[in-house]
Amino acid sequence: MSVAELKERHMAATQTVNDLREKLKQKRLQLLDTDVSGYARSQGKTPVTFGPTDLVCCRILQGHTGKVYSLDWTPEKNRIVSASQDGRLIVWNALTSQKTHAIKLPCAWVMTCAFSPSGQSVACGGLDSACSIFNLNSPIAKEGNHPVSRMLSGHKGYVSSCQYVPDEDTHLITSSGDQTCVLWDITTGLRTSVFGGEFQSGHTADVLSVSISSSNPRLFVSGSCDTTARLWDTRVASRAQRTFHGHEGDVNTVKFFPDGNRFGTGSDDGTCRLFDIRTGHQLQVYYQPHGDGDIPHVTSMAFSISGRLLFVGYSNSDCYVWDTLLAKVVLNLGSVQNSHEGRISCLGLSADGSALCTGSWDTNLKIWAFGGHRSVI
Amino acid sequence: MAGAGSGGTASVPSLPPPRPKSPPRYPDLYGKRRELAKVQMLEREIGFLEEELKSIEGLHPASRPCKEVTEFVSEHSDPLIPTIKKSRRSCCFWKRLCGSSCFNLSWICCWCRCPRMKMPDCCNCNLCNCCPSISCSIPKCQCFSCPRSKCCRKPVCKWSCCSLKCPSCFSCSSCSPCTCTCSYPRCPKLNCSSCCKKCCCFCPCYFC
Repeated sequence: MSVAELKERHMAATQTVNDLREKLKQKRLQLLDTDVSGYARSQGKTPVTFGPTDLVCCRILQGHTGKVYSLDWTPEKNRIVSASQDGRLIVWNALTSQKTHAIKLPCAWVMTCAFSPSGQSVACGGLDSACSIFNLNSPIAKEGNHPVSRMLSGHKGYVSSCQYVPDEDTHLITSSGDQTCVLWDITTGLRTSVFGGEFQSGHTADVLSVSISSSNPRLFVSGSCDTTARLWDTRVASRAQRTFHGHEGDVNTVKFFPDGNRFGTGSDDGTCRLFDIRTGHQLQVYYQPHGDGDIPHVTSMAFSISGRLLFVGYSNSDCYVWDTLLAKVVLNLGSVQNSHEGRISCLGLSADGSALCTGSWDTNLKIWAFGGHRSVI
Repeated sequence: MAGAGSGGTASVPSLPPPRPKSPPRYPDLYGKRRELAKVQMLEREIGFLEEELKSIEGLHPASRPCKEVTEFVSEHSDPLIPTIKKSRRSCCFWKRLCGSSCFNLSWICCWCRCPRMKMPDCCNCNLCNCCPSISCSIPKCQCFSCPRSKCCRKPVCKWSCCSLKCPSCFSCSSCSPCTCTCSYPRCPKLNCSSCCKKCCCFCPCYFC
């Protein structure tokens, strides 16, 4: 077959794909008989209300000298690892605000960091296209640096996000600017599976974020600049289980809902969306119109432990607390007392859900906890 | 030979005029393979989409997962969710009572059993430990059992306080014991006792 004939076939196939996608969209629209807020209202749910002192900043973690780009809590203890433009990872004791480790990175251009499930090691990745693992218990080298205990090399683009597989210190999933996600075996330093890629069925642009289901660690979702999120099964690398359309901009962040059957996405189009992994339905859009016409991008997101609250960081320094059931903004952490002075670039909930940590371009991390009264059961 | 014999008239065969050739047409293997891979990828995608179109026929409408989300959220407590305002007064009342150490007030024990009055979860003192020895007249519930759960014995510093759930019906016919559960059982290993006394243990330990 000649190249010209192939090009014709290519054009015809592209047209068919587009037609099928449109058909799917229409079918899905017919099945969207309500959204979460509509259903919750019909059930008489009332919105969550926050007083001025209900969610307050109770710790400021100071020590970075550059923008904070990423943070992660330990699953068990009260520790946080943060990655900053200053080229350091800092491990904090969230209760005492003390630093337990400050790790100078071989490549300062770090974009993401993660704590291992046991809390023994941390991982980070960035523009060096590799994921570096540091064992927190290993002795410090003569120069005063923490040695890299394992370097995971193989991506052909920057490492945008990394997350350990729950309960497994030896496996980690990364997303990359090379349009792929990779499951790594940290013991051997080798790629166990590659999800997507040039000739695979996967993302067609940079992958920016991954989130692994805690209820079924074989499932993870990825968000990409191709405006889609994809659900993957680690046992089937050849194709995504499902592709979720709807966003009109890069999908910057993805996060599993606490029940493991849904996940949230945040995008450059200014919206967060909630998708159902079993049906593929888009259950809710979280969008707050802005008067000035500028749509701030969603940069980070996290669900509270019950799923009732959704914390979302935006490019304009706002940090909304959404009531997920009624799709209403109930608080803006960007405008309360003691809020950050720069953009909130990352945020995360402690394992027990009692504290929120936010990281900002103002070089600080802040811990927010409930300071008000509890409801009567 | 004949030609040679004919003398000088024989013409020397001339070389064909130069005809510049374009380079041989090598097949563009790389581009072709690439194009072929792209087409195959798209054809696979068509297969997946057709599969998805078929599977969508039997799907439930969105209301079903919406219901599941609403139920999940309602069934789980959340340490970051604020109070319902109307309960604040009641909470303060209990807080004052719980602020002092466990005192032996039988009428409070009897109140505890009233299905209309519930103790707020910020009040996790061992108030009801005083109960078994007391006989209450209203309502009668001799078999009332007080919480023995470790997390409810004394006010300890918690990120989230215990929830005391008393049986909804306190009639003796269906007397079931109170249960006390800690939604978030892991407490930080930090001495926060002074803080918790002050604020009746409703603040997270980050405030200690």
